[in-house]
Amino acid sequence: MTTEIQTEPTEVQTTRGGVYVIDRSRPRLRAGQGLLTGLDVVFRHFRDALTRKLEKPSQQTGVFTVQYPEERLKLPEAFRNFPILLYDDETGHELCTSCFQCQRICPPQVIHMTQARDPSTGKPVPAVAEFLIEYDACMSCGLCAEVCPFDAIKMDHEFEYSTDVHGGLTINKEALNRPISYYEKIAPSFWAEVKDSAMKKLQGNMKRRPDLIGVAPQMVEKIRAKRAESAAAQAPAPASATPDAAPADKAARLAAARARAAEKTAAEASAEPVSESTPADKAARLAAIRAANAAKKTDEGATEAPAPTGGAPTDKAARLAAIRAANAAKKSAEGADAASAPPAAEAPAPTTGDAPTDKAARLAAIRAANAAKKAAAQNDGSEE
Amino acid sequence: MNTLITILFVVFAAFILASAIMTVTVKNIVHAALWLISSFFGVGALYLLMEAEFLGVAQVLIYVGAVSILILFAIMLTRDLEGSQNRQLTPRWWIALIVPAALFGLLIVPTVMTYAWQLPPPPAGQSPAISGAQQIGTAFMREYLLPFEVAAILLLVAMIGAIVIAFEERERRRRVLTLAEQVRLRRQQRQPAPLPEPAATAIQASEATGGES
Amino acid sequence: MTDILRSWIGGALPDWVIVLIAYLLVTTIVLFYAVGNFIMMVWAERRVVARMQDRLGPNRVGPAGLLQPIADAVKMFTKEDIVPRSADQWVHLLAPIVSLAPVAMMLAVIPWGRGWEPIDLNVALLYIVAVSAVSGVGLMMAGWGSNNKFALLGAMRAVAQLVSYEIPAVTALLTVVILAGGMSLLELPYMQAGVPLMGATILCGDAAGCSPSLYTTVTSFPGSPGEPVQALDLGLGWWVFTPVGLLGFIVFFIAALAEGERTPFDIPEADSEIVAGYMTEYSGMKFATFYIAQYILNFALSALAATAFLGGWQGPGVAALANMGGPWVHVAAALSAFYLLAKIWVLFFVMIWLRGAFPRLRVDQLMDFAWKLLLPLALVNIVSASLMVGLTQWTSAQWGGLLSLDGFAPWQRQLIAILVTAIINIAAAYWILSINQRPTQEEWIEEELVVAS
Repeated sequence: MTTEIQTEPTEVQTTRGGVYVIDRSRPRLRAGQGLLTGLDVVFRHFRDALTRKLEKPSQQTGVFTVQYPEERLKLPEAFRNFPILLYDDETGHELCTSCFQCQRICPPQVIHMTQARDPSTGKPVPAVAEFLIEYDACMSCGLCAEVCPFDAIKMDHEFEYSTDVHGGLTINKEALNRPISYYEKIAPSFWAEVKDSAMKKLQGNMKRRPDLIGVAPQMVEKIRAKRAESAAAQAPAPASATPDAAPADKAARLAAARARAAEKTAAEASAEPVSESTPADKAARLAAIRAANAAKKTDEGATEAPAPTGGAPTDKAARLAAIRAANAAKKSAEGADAASAPPAAEAPAPTTGDAPTDKAARLAAIRAANAAKKAAAQNDGSEE
Repeated sequence: MNTLITILFVVFAAFILASAIMTVTVKNIVHAALWLISSFFGVGALYLLMEAEFLGVAQVLIYVGAVSILILFAIMLTRDLEGSQNRQLTPRWWIALIVPAALFGLLIVPTVMTYAWQLPPPPAGQSPAISGAQQIGTAFMREYLLPFEVAAILLLVAMIGAIVIAFEERERRRRVLTLAEQVRLRRQQRQPAPLPEPAATAIQASEATGGES
Repeated sequence: MTDILRSWIGGALPDWVIVLIAYLLVTTIVLFYAVGNFIMMVWAERRVVARMQDRLGPNRVGPAGLLQPIADAVKMFTKEDIVPRSADQWVHLLAPIVSLAPVAMMLAVIPWGRGWEPIDLNVALLYIVAVSAVSGVGLMMAGWGSNNKFALLGAMRAVAQLVSYEIPAVTALLTVVILAGGMSLLELPYMQAGVPLMGATILCGDAAGCSPSLYTTVTSFPGSPGEPVQALDLGLGWWVFTPVGLLGFIVFFIAALAEGERTPFDIPEADSEIVAGYMTEYSGMKFATFYIAQYILNFALSALAATAFLGGWQGPGVAALANMGGPWVHVAAALSAFYLLAKIWVLFFVMIWLRGAFPRLRVDQLMDFAWKLLLPLALVNIVSASLMVGLTQWTSAQWGGLLSLDGFAPWQRQLIAILVTAIINIAAAYWILSINQRPTQEEWIEEELVVAS
């Protein structure tokens, strides 16, 4: 009406991104002309809002309303609302190890969890038994997700949580659990960054979880079915290859394998301090420690793995280790289940094979071996 | 048709009388003004009933639309509304009754005495002497020119008087100054003083007067 | 209506009962028409203003949100009716009624279609002005009866605005009175027959008679008082196409905006300043009554502006259909009613448009606008209108020998009148706008120094 108005502004690229330059300069307005210009602008908005939607920010006109329940804006990856827990799609294992980091850092203190325990030994397992988040008090700060060393807790994009149930926003573990594939969908690049380390940590943790502990509740049935299926498929094959493999029970075998692996890692862990303390009877001590470790492992006492600190007395440490191993073995013999038996029985083997110079150490080792044997015998009995 | 008109006349007359009585007896002054308005309305309706449409509409326009609103404005702007809830009836109310009654009698008695009551109805098809706006305009400009002009001059005088009262001379016209302007003003006023005050006191002084303007 | 009822009922009832029933029927129809339009206007306003703000507006209740007003009405009906304890109960109750009733009374005299006029009042224009002034009393009652300072402030503002904008509005309507030679609204659409700018001044040159679809018999148009003539009639001789009508229309429409309290003149209910003005203490159905009153006032003022300046129900084809006679007269009436409705809605759209575009005025700006711009323009326009009538209708005897235009054809006289009034109006508008253009900032600084010394 008054001037030629640039409807499509030019986009200028700067180092900090695109900038839309809109030329609003107008010549001097005479009386009433400003009013008419205003009417013109409003009419243009009216006309365009009838015909088109606002698609890019350089457009000055067009409907910008998003009709929410039907239409939704794509949320940015970094959008965060409430925390969720992740579990692995295939194995069903949760990434959470109940390290309590998130519970500690949570500013409104709405995260509560209990650690899972091995029902046979009562020892803690790196998994979470129950996990509660009070969504109604959560302030969506995202600190829990940032602090989590296992990438188990992540911020969700879901925001439609309104409810009329008082207390309906205290969410338990089952409702918090989401498969990794879900998180990968809503935040692909974020997950790609942490995927490898998270999965590696999960593999490590899975080995320390007996039976179905640590499996997401909604996946338990599926995993059990899957295991039974694969066991049924595997059973004929090992039967023909090694007919002496007595137990068809898959869980037992899995536990055994896991215990062996645990033994190995524990041995590696304890190897360092041992080598420092210039031992006279290296072999004996090593054997004793190994036995002890093995026995301990059967209890899933990974955290309390014997670490004979490299002290001055050469044989004292070895003896201590042996005694401890013996105790552990005894204990395991008392409360042993089928799973713990084989490693305990195996453990003394190297001990007895060697010729130890130190008497006490030998004694301890023998004791340990006996205890382990006893445990093995008991286990055999219990198996039958 | 005549029955209807008679019924309407009775209704309107009763309404006018009732509201007039309420106007002078009701205690709340705003209520009195509102009753006065309804009385004006009734009079306008009576005019319409007499087919004097111009008069009826003019009655509504002038009395209801302008005069009564002015009355309401005057009441609301001048009175303390809380205090005006209880209007005291003056002890000499009987004087106030007698004087208007006497004036009204002065007006009505000669009319009643001399008026020929049994007028023949105007012949059909011929409009009465003064009915529409055009006739009224003609009458104002011809027969009643002098009263019309006198009334006009009266109104003009009233208007000029109102302007004179309300008009502030140009030199003394002031507007609400902003704080910055007040500070500047105070500084200018203080300059001739023997000891120029520091700026802080000037601001304080202006703040002290800030509430007034 | 009365005649139809008489022919149906005949002598079964006394005549005055029939008249009463007829009036009640007409009243009901007109009120339903207005309220139906009110409902549509609420919906349209919300939708249109939303589009102007790049939104969608209510679109959930019913198709395209058309049932939204119904939902609002249900809400209003079921809401609690709150009366403040210290309010004046009766005044508080009566105020919405007093403000709605005069607005509804305005609808009685507007010709809604060709031959569809509820009442033929020969002072209809004055009647509308008078009745619309009454609603000020209602606002005053609302403001005072609420016993709330915001309500009182709003009422004061409302009444001050109403009173001061009535003057330009009435002055602008006076041009119509001068052009039409009377205050009847009934005649106005008939007078605005013809073609744009020239009106009904292009006469039929053929003595044998012209086609009734193009030419119509005009009796009372400016230029030929008395004898009926046949003039070219496209139904477009609206006064808004002449300089006098255009200026009058602009002034009247702006004043009508202020009287209807539309943005940018919604000072009485400025929500950002005084809550909701005189409606602050109202809720539920009483609030809705104010709301209805406001919209119907806008509707009636739009109808009045359309009738006075935009030809009312006049439009292409109406006269031609009416000339065909028989049942076509009713078709012409329906078409003419549609034309008036369309004009009202166009004006209402402009109201919404202005609301979407302009911010609220300050009170002093409001008064300046009325007294320094609209009123001078309207006064000049009265002079122009008088000249227009004089140049097109007066004989040389009426001019007193000063001017003799008797020899010219009607269209030539019309052309001369339009030229003269256009020059006057444009010059006056330019001059008045230019003296109002610049705020006198420097002057104030000088005066401040005067205060200082």
